[in-house]
Amino acid sequence: MRLSPYLLSLLLLANQGLQAGEPAANPALAEAFAGQVKPFLKKYCTHCHGGEKPKADLALDKYLDQAAAAKDREVWEHVLENVRDGIMPPDPETKPGQAERDAVAGWIEKQFTQVDCGLKKDPGRVTIRRLNRAEYNNTVRDLCGVDFRPADDFPADDVGYGFDHIGDVLSMPPILLEKYLNAAEQVVDKAIYVHGPEKTPLHQFEAAEVGHEGGGGAHGRGWGLHSTGEVFVEFDFPAPGRYALRGKAFAQQAGSEPARMAFRLNGKEVHVADVTAVDTEPMMYEKQVRIGPGKKRFGLAFINDFYDPKAPDPKARDRNLYIDSLEIQGPLDGPPPPLSESHKRIIFVKPDKKNHRECAEKIIKVFASRAYRRRATADEISRLVKFVEQAEQHGESFERGIQLAMEAVLVSPYFLFRVELDREPNNPQAIHPVDDFELAARLSYFLWSSMPDDELFRLAAQGKLREGDTLANQTRRMLKDPKARALVDNFAGQWLEIRRLKTMTPDPKRFPGFDEDLRQAMLKETELFFSSVVEEDRSVLDLLDADYTFLNERLAKHYGIGGVAGQEFRRVKLDNPDRGGLVTQASVLTVTSNPTRTSPVKRGKWILEEFFNSSPPPPPPEAGELKEDDKTVLRGSLRQRMEQHRANPSCAACHARMDPLGFGLENFDAIGAWRERDGEFAIDAAGTLPDGSSFKRPSELKAILKQKKADFARCLSEKMLTYALGRGLEYYDKCAVDEIAGKLAQNDYKFSTLILEIVASDPFQLRRGKGAE
Amino acid sequence: MHKPWQVSRRAALKGLGTAIALPLLDAMLPATAFTAFGRALQAAEAAKKTPNRMAFLYVPNGIHMPDWTPANVGADFDLPPILQHVAKFKNDFMILSGLAQDGARAHGDGGGDHARAMASFLTGCHPRKTHGADIKVGVSADQVAAQKVGQQTRFASLELGCEPGAQNGNCDSGYSCAYSANSSWKTESTPVAKEVNPRLVFERLFSDGQQGESKEARAKRNQARKSVLDFALEDANQLKGRLGATDQRKLDEYLSTVRELEQRINRAEQAADEGLPNFKKPAGVPGDYGEHIRLMADLMVLAFQTDSTRISTFVLANEGSNKSYSFIGVSEGHHDLSHHGYDKEKQAKISKINQFHVDQLAYFLERLKATPEAGGSLLDHAMVAYGSAIGDGNAHNHDNLPILLAGRGCGTLRPGRHVRYEKETPLNNLWLSLLDRMESSIDQLGDSNGRLNELSA
Repeated sequence: MRLSPYLLSLLLLANQGLQAGEPAANPALAEAFAGQVKPFLKKYCTHCHGGEKPKADLALDKYLDQAAAAKDREVWEHVLENVRDGIMPPDPETKPGQAERDAVAGWIEKQFTQVDCGLKKDPGRVTIRRLNRAEYNNTVRDLCGVDFRPADDFPADDVGYGFDHIGDVLSMPPILLEKYLNAAEQVVDKAIYVHGPEKTPLHQFEAAEVGHEGGGGAHGRGWGLHSTGEVFVEFDFPAPGRYALRGKAFAQQAGSEPARMAFRLNGKEVHVADVTAVDTEPMMYEKQVRIGPGKKRFGLAFINDFYDPKAPDPKARDRNLYIDSLEIQGPLDGPPPPLSESHKRIIFVKPDKKNHRECAEKIIKVFASRAYRRRATADEISRLVKFVEQAEQHGESFERGIQLAMEAVLVSPYFLFRVELDREPNNPQAIHPVDDFELAARLSYFLWSSMPDDELFRLAAQGKLREGDTLANQTRRMLKDPKARALVDNFAGQWLEIRRLKTMTPDPKRFPGFDEDLRQAMLKETELFFSSVVEEDRSVLDLLDADYTFLNERLAKHYGIGGVAGQEFRRVKLDNPDRGGLVTQASVLTVTSNPTRTSPVKRGKWILEEFFNSSPPPPPPEAGELKEDDKTVLRGSLRQRMEQHRANPSCAACHARMDPLGFGLENFDAIGAWRERDGEFAIDAAGTLPDGSSFKRPSELKAILKQKKADFARCLSEKMLTYALGRGLEYYDKCAVDEIAGKLAQNDYKFSTLILEIVASDPFQLRRGKGAE
Repeated sequence: MHKPWQVSRRAALKGLGTAIALPLLDAMLPATAFTAFGRALQAAEAAKKTPNRMAFLYVPNGIHMPDWTPANVGADFDLPPILQHVAKFKNDFMILSGLAQDGARAHGDGGGDHARAMASFLTGCHPRKTHGADIKVGVSADQVAAQKVGQQTRFASLELGCEPGAQNGNCDSGYSCAYSANSSWKTESTPVAKEVNPRLVFERLFSDGQQGESKEARAKRNQARKSVLDFALEDANQLKGRLGATDQRKLDEYLSTVRELEQRINRAEQAADEGLPNFKKPAGVPGDYGEHIRLMADLMVLAFQTDSTRISTFVLANEGSNKSYSFIGVSEGHHDLSHHGYDKEKQAKISKINQFHVDQLAYFLERLKATPEAGGSLLDHAMVAYGSAIGDGNAHNHDNLPILLAGRGCGTLRPGRHVRYEKETPLNNLWLSLLDRMESSIDQLGDSNGRLNELSA
């Protein structure tokens, strides 16, 4: 079997000398090196990769024995990939035969992937992780009680190892900090109410759209008064109080005085403004007035018209007033609205005259500690309290000061990054458990993609998280919480590649039935199905094949299943053994198809990659794809044409692994509907896998997949561990994966076992310093 | 006060609708003399001060080269089918043939030409093959300029795209998706994420203040922002000292973005009151792909015109994109098609996709040309590079690349020609030459081994 990606990406630990978990000397490996590898290098490699000027700076002639070779893991992983995939030696050099290649590949795999799990184990090290978009949304929701998903406008997070929350890959482009700052302002604005005139209701009126009296006419959206006249609006003032009356205006000036604009309430003049603004820059004029409740007429009037056709400057002959808009705001001194839950939760003490500082400290201590997912330090609290003091010194409210302190917390790296500290950050031998707060955060971001809740915080603060069964009980509790839905959105959505469904564009001519409703229904089916495994703690093998799924009428019709009416999804028992399990769901079948047809290759590759972590290498560049029509050289059904294509020996080895798996699903068209024929050809869903097992239809293919349950459990353990840690797996993680997959098998493949074993594993519980680079 | 032939900046803006900020209109130039000679002098003077701009447009999966490469070189070059779509601008662009991007080649790393092509396009470096740990390629040409002259504008650079980074999965044969989605790299390990939503681009460019916010309120908000950023900076500096090497790099990225944002706020304060341009705020991502591209092009033009930035990258689709172009009658996925196996029909479909993309380029050039500036057009003061780091999608070759360079670069480029360079001339020689024209000269970039001659001669 091909190495999983994590075994190939061993870039960091190559030159660090003996690591925890490094294999001891092994005579068989020494013999194999001398007997097979060394002669191979001499015959095929070292005439280029050797001598004084080795090509690509790769000198393979310096490895005189196994001991020398064993030191350069990175080099050999590179050699493995090139030899196994037939990339090297290049044309027109003599190529080694398959047996020779297998021998060398076998030695490299044995030499570098066998880890002694009995020794001190290496838990690895997670690179500091900033919150990704989903985590940011969930965290501000749980921290501030606001649910408006500000991160949906952030740039997409880059993906590594199949997931978008990998510390090594998450970078900090300049635009992101702007977004964080904007988001922080919006979040505090929604979470905390700061009373001020700008918060009172504002009513705006375009001057052209309201009532007019006297000489004038529309001027864009505004109104021009060329002689004495008024622009007015009837308004029902809701409550007694102080209101701001405003008019945005400018004037064409003439004569000795500026244009004058009178503010009138029910015809009574309450204020006169000198309008000095000119057309290039209209200004807002305002008068605040106490007004009782009820309907009143607010008018703005031009009261000093002037016209002198003989004035020497032609531009100074006519005085006109132009009004763009009217505004009424208030009551400015009305009572504030009732406070939101989020406000009351964050500002949980109300300061009186003397104890502002004390209250600010209390509030900030709680908020910052929750945001930083640890106790905030005295120094941090006092620096944050300064925001409150400064706001108050500048005449702003206590609440505004708290807002500013919250903004500072929300852009602090202690909030945006999940910080885990080492006493010896650069010593790879210094292995230590993460502290209780860090563990609580690992747990909550793993299961909820969000911050720990109060219960987890309390346990961490009391140092009780690791006592007895506490951690396991907490894990079980968290899996039952609705927030565990994050596992569906973020783990399953990425693992199964179904997030891509929203960008799939099946050809509307061939698949006129595909529309947005169907797309949503496909997604929903898989989400509900995966959720059922989580919530009911079912066997993960159900993911491979199950006798139930979740459908609404639209999707049921698409599948040709009767008796399901209406929009809502419900659990449906499947009578046909060919339908059931992830590989038969339309979501997966569609993301593994081309826009115009099915792709047995993509489906086969998907199964190998996502179920068995065993993806074949990419095709050589000149491989070419299948012709879309059957008039050219290759003839027959899609399957027959693929088989002709596979006659090419350079393609055969890999396609023999992928294609049969895909053929087994040929009864499902490119959007997952059942079919017996493809055009003029009857579907042939039979296949034989390289190990000789064969099947005739989808149900039999699934039965074979289920027999490979140990491989599937291992693959799922690797994917889930990668997701839990936020880093790619390394060779030394093999021990942890063995244990997790083993326990999973012992425990009837129950989903909770997978999660509990990951939480209990060394890579999840421990960390170490970083090696020198 | 105003002389009739002079228009104040504000007045000009008013005339165009709501308040709009334009840097320089012809009539704003001081009219010292009314002779033709005087005007010519004026224009020359203004042109000298008019800034140069650079934009890089990337298209994935290579191009059907027989429909791209002109047979003749020189000014009398012919226009094959794809270039027919920019025929109108024949005198405004040149085709540069024969350039190569060696960093995109395998060099023993096996598959992954798509990821490597995008990552190397503007960096000229060979990306390290990794799913995620220790991403590394090189600094891209646009970011070199952004670091050298970016502080002269409100935004150092603008990164645009139409497809977000991949949402999941392995993007290309063992390469992190960061490689195949990002052409712009701030440091060798930090890609600059692109913005794909036109509404967000617009808001970022022009909504520094909130709608209707007074000057005082805005000043107060900027003050608050600065004190918040100061706080963050202090935290970051303190935290950095407690971390290991890799984590420190992440904090460095954070620190530099905090400092940049502080500078940007300062620059925005010093700049004149910008206001909102006379451009309808985009509602979001249009459903129509062509409209999406054109809206992004509009925004680039607007950003250049208002001198909000002088440097931009625009990835029309991610490398390896398997988008279906059914709206032009090509329903197969672009990447699937690009492995055409020399099938004529498939090649014709690829050419059709190429022509669609070039149609959008034509729109961008049209808009630049239609925007007057300092006695000429915006296109006269810009350098627009368009192309791919894959030649043919089936061969996955990285030499003889399709590269089009439009604009006059403030008189430093002489478009209207087809130039064929010697085989294996690094594409980065072109980038180095463009950097010279942005007052951003450096000695070397990636695998460059000199400047490109014949651009201006």
